[in-house]
Amino acid sequence: MIYDAAVIGAGVVGCAVARELSRWDLKILVLEKELDVATGNSSRNTGMLHAGFTYKTGSLKAECAVEGNREFDKVAAELSIPFRRTGKLVVGFTDHDRENILKFKENGERNGVEGIRMLETRAEIEAIEPYAGGNFAMYVPSSGILDPMQYTIALAENASKNGAAFCFGAGVTAIDRQEEEDLYILHTGRGDFSSRWVINCAGAFSPMISAMLGYPEYYQKGFKGEYYVLDKKAGKYLSIPVYPAPNDKGGFATHATPTVDGNILVGPDSYLTEGREDYANRKDRLDGLFRDGSTMFHQMKRDYFIRNFAGIRWKNCDEKTGEVLDFILEADPQKPHTVNLVGIESPGVTCALPLARRAVQKITERQKAEGSPLSQNVSFDPCRKVLRRFSEMTMEERQKAIEKNPDYGQIVCRCENVSRAEILEAIHNPLGVHTLTGIKNRTRSMMGRCNGGYCQTRITKMLEEELGLAPEDIRYQRENGVIFTGKVRGEA
Amino acid sequence: MKYADVVIVGGGPAGLAAAVRLYDMGIRDILILEREHSLGGILRQCIHDGFGLTRFGVSLSGPEYASRFIREVEKRQIPYITDTTVIEITRDKLVTAAGEAGLLQVQAKAVILTMGCRERTRGALAIPGTRPAGVMTAGVAQAYINLQNRMIGKEVVILGSGDIGMIMARRLTLEGAHVIAVFEVMSVASGLPRNIEQCLNDYGIPLYLSHTVTDIRGTDRLESVVISQVDDHMQPIPGTEKEYKCDTLILSVGLIPENELTIGAGAALDDHTKGALVDEFYQTEVPGIFAAGNVLHVHDLVDFVSMEAETLAEGAAAYVREGSLPACPVPVTAGDNVGHALPQKVSGERDFLLSLRPRRPLENVTLKVTQGEKAILTRKLKKVLPAEMIQLKIKKEKLSGEGSINVSIS
Amino acid sequence: MQREFTCIVCPNGCRITADYEKKEDGSLVIQSVEGQTCRRGEEYVRQELTDPRRTIATSVAVRAGEMPLASVRLTAPVPKKDIFRVMEAIRGITLEAPVKEGTVILSKVLGYDADLIVTRSVDKA
Repeated sequence: MIYDAAVIGAGVVGCAVARELSRWDLKILVLEKELDVATGNSSRNTGMLHAGFTYKTGSLKAECAVEGNREFDKVAAELSIPFRRTGKLVVGFTDHDRENILKFKENGERNGVEGIRMLETRAEIEAIEPYAGGNFAMYVPSSGILDPMQYTIALAENASKNGAAFCFGAGVTAIDRQEEEDLYILHTGRGDFSSRWVINCAGAFSPMISAMLGYPEYYQKGFKGEYYVLDKKAGKYLSIPVYPAPNDKGGFATHATPTVDGNILVGPDSYLTEGREDYANRKDRLDGLFRDGSTMFHQMKRDYFIRNFAGIRWKNCDEKTGEVLDFILEADPQKPHTVNLVGIESPGVTCALPLARRAVQKITERQKAEGSPLSQNVSFDPCRKVLRRFSEMTMEERQKAIEKNPDYGQIVCRCENVSRAEILEAIHNPLGVHTLTGIKNRTRSMMGRCNGGYCQTRITKMLEEELGLAPEDIRYQRENGVIFTGKVRGEA
Repeated sequence: MKYADVVIVGGGPAGLAAAVRLYDMGIRDILILEREHSLGGILRQCIHDGFGLTRFGVSLSGPEYASRFIREVEKRQIPYITDTTVIEITRDKLVTAAGEAGLLQVQAKAVILTMGCRERTRGALAIPGTRPAGVMTAGVAQAYINLQNRMIGKEVVILGSGDIGMIMARRLTLEGAHVIAVFEVMSVASGLPRNIEQCLNDYGIPLYLSHTVTDIRGTDRLESVVISQVDDHMQPIPGTEKEYKCDTLILSVGLIPENELTIGAGAALDDHTKGALVDEFYQTEVPGIFAAGNVLHVHDLVDFVSMEAETLAEGAAAYVREGSLPACPVPVTAGDNVGHALPQKVSGERDFLLSLRPRRPLENVTLKVTQGEKAILTRKLKKVLPAEMIQLKIKKEKLSGEGSINVSIS
Repeated sequence: MQREFTCIVCPNGCRITADYEKKEDGSLVIQSVEGQTCRRGEEYVRQELTDPRRTIATSVAVRAGEMPLASVRLTAPVPKKDIFRVMEAIRGITLEAPVKEGTVILSKVLGYDADLIVTRSVDKA
């Protein structure tokens, strides 16, 4: 099969591009080296819907963040994902803090961020969040929180529903151009694929794909940050993201953010790494984060630890000065039918759809210029439906839900109150993902305080039964991440 | 809505023992709610023997110990519902549970909390490293191997010298895996000495005290762990790192009472036990809500879990009959070298069972229970270990009724 | 000679010290046993010095059952050196559901005075 467009990478940007492409009558393929979407930095972040007050005016970051922020209520509703427009507080204590905060306020206003205002008294701060520190604060009402995994999954499922194909375990190892046929041959771990268009959304590996397409292998620096996820019991102490005043360079120190599910994230710290997938947590960093986090969030207790993770912001940088540069979004006619997205880091989740629209526009414009304009996908449906979560229902709704579907009455994950109905929906997800973390990220099972101690064994059993998998086919997250080495007793 | 004199949340060893004793005391309107498909709780997966020596005078496996109580429940036809998870308990003792038949709401006169405990996780300890497959708690490994016929690895490192970890070291060895070593961050094992003997020493599995995992490596399946020696403050000592190739890391690093429902019901918890604060009737601070077994404080022996629940049943029966229990104004406090003491308050007018756990291992010590200046009980002990819970019967004749009761070891 | 033991008979785990002499014919003369808090402790040490024995708990496969395994155990300890031989014997067994708790699957395992019994009933699927 020859595809019209191949998207490399199923992170938030790749899935957004696939979804926006699926508005057009195209054969779309998404190639992902891992076994699920959003396994890289798309999910390894704070889950902020950024307002756009920190980015340089006129940059793609600023423009797309403001645009992505404004439309997100509609996006969240279309895709049925949890989202809360919480607003954000940036708190300060000193005159110096005030100067730095005011710089952001002005910058935000220049970028078109609406409704920013200063809170000059403790009473004003406490009216918004009693547990926030600071003598004064900047309040940004448009900031919000979302679950970046749910968001990426939703984009991918919606793209899939509208015709896009997903191939997992298909890391691109080489790209050949066949000029006569006007095709690219993509060599992957799952065989070769042909496509007219190639869109590089490879995230941490975007410079390498960039080079394969004939663009420069852009210079980047990896800013790694580690996090603690805290128990929902700590959630009541923070209803809105509270950031400390930025430093003179405009960077934020460790902060605490509520998640849309009711946990608290503490982090990230920031240090340089060379490893493209260096997601390991380091003891010295975790210790430091615990110390810093405790000063920012007074409920930072070991009893609340649920887990840790790390992410890396691969920033395009000037190789000589080290200056951080903007996102790269380009389509050079010298490299026909390619769109190159490189260095999409924070605020990449907020910017994903605006970037995707710009990428798709490059394709539609080019097609038009070549005299073969694209036609619309007439059956495109922007909406994705999911089962409601048992944990979010009222008692009356639960009763009705169980009457209609008895699987709702079987609680599989006790910490997060996830029912069998939701697990089954996840096991039979439209993308065909069947890793354990895939089920986890779709349902929140195994994400609670027991880390799956209760439900993991039940979920692997359901995976085997529902999909007819052998024990050796059950994977935790990655290709060789098998959970079982076999059976204890063979069947005679 | 249904009504019941007593709703028991959890059909493990504590819940079953409480039910049988309640029934025998004439309280017949009982309902046991169990989330699993069958009764028995965690004992279902504890197939090793050694259970029941105190309660029954014989050494049984976990399933056999459980089935003794299940048979008693069946014989008395005490009602129970399985595959049903309690999702909420209110202060007014309205219990809501979810099952395939719908939401079940039961208004109880008394509620008995016997939900047991969960295992401390990698996340709770913030163990650094990558997140490959092959890292799991001992209980998960036990469920896979003993209930689901799934083998979980070949080259195994165990972190933590909890009893389940040691039991699994032996279990894995018998099934052909190679257990490289058990590492314990503390300077003393947290499990029972007999398990060090029969689970580790018997199979030549080394136990390294004052060692911990400081890195987990491998992207897909676990490839190795880095072990460091720790100092007196349990901080890793730089330069002592040693890498062990393995495909499996099993954690046996502690148990935590499972008290989300307890908190929801408004009962206060003890910072040390992580279970509810209770009086000598095992009544929580919410009148009519009782707790016993591992949900109250982690036990080392199931026999004591059952026996505690049986004592609880006496208090619960009195509560159902009288509508209230005598006030318990006398606080019980943990003094020197005592991690926690339970119950946390007593009436001062009845005999009661004092349970306590030493904070650290000591030899040739004196355990003292005092009330004000007055000595209530003094006992010389050859050795005490944090792994071994101590239980003492306190006689009412010794109590003066005034002032807090303190227990200390020196 | 002197040897220390941790008694495994009950959860108390007494530390017991035994003084003994090894005769030229290989037999042992036990002079003293100290530290135990009950009679079983002394018995354990005497046994341990002459012929250490252990029980085994494991599982056997079950065909057509509601569970794939039935747990089993030995009713009496067998010599420690034979533990893996006993495991080999157990590994080959497959039972047909239903399986009843208490059923003897192997009697006189390897000729010792110990039976292998089922410790959990498994109904038909």
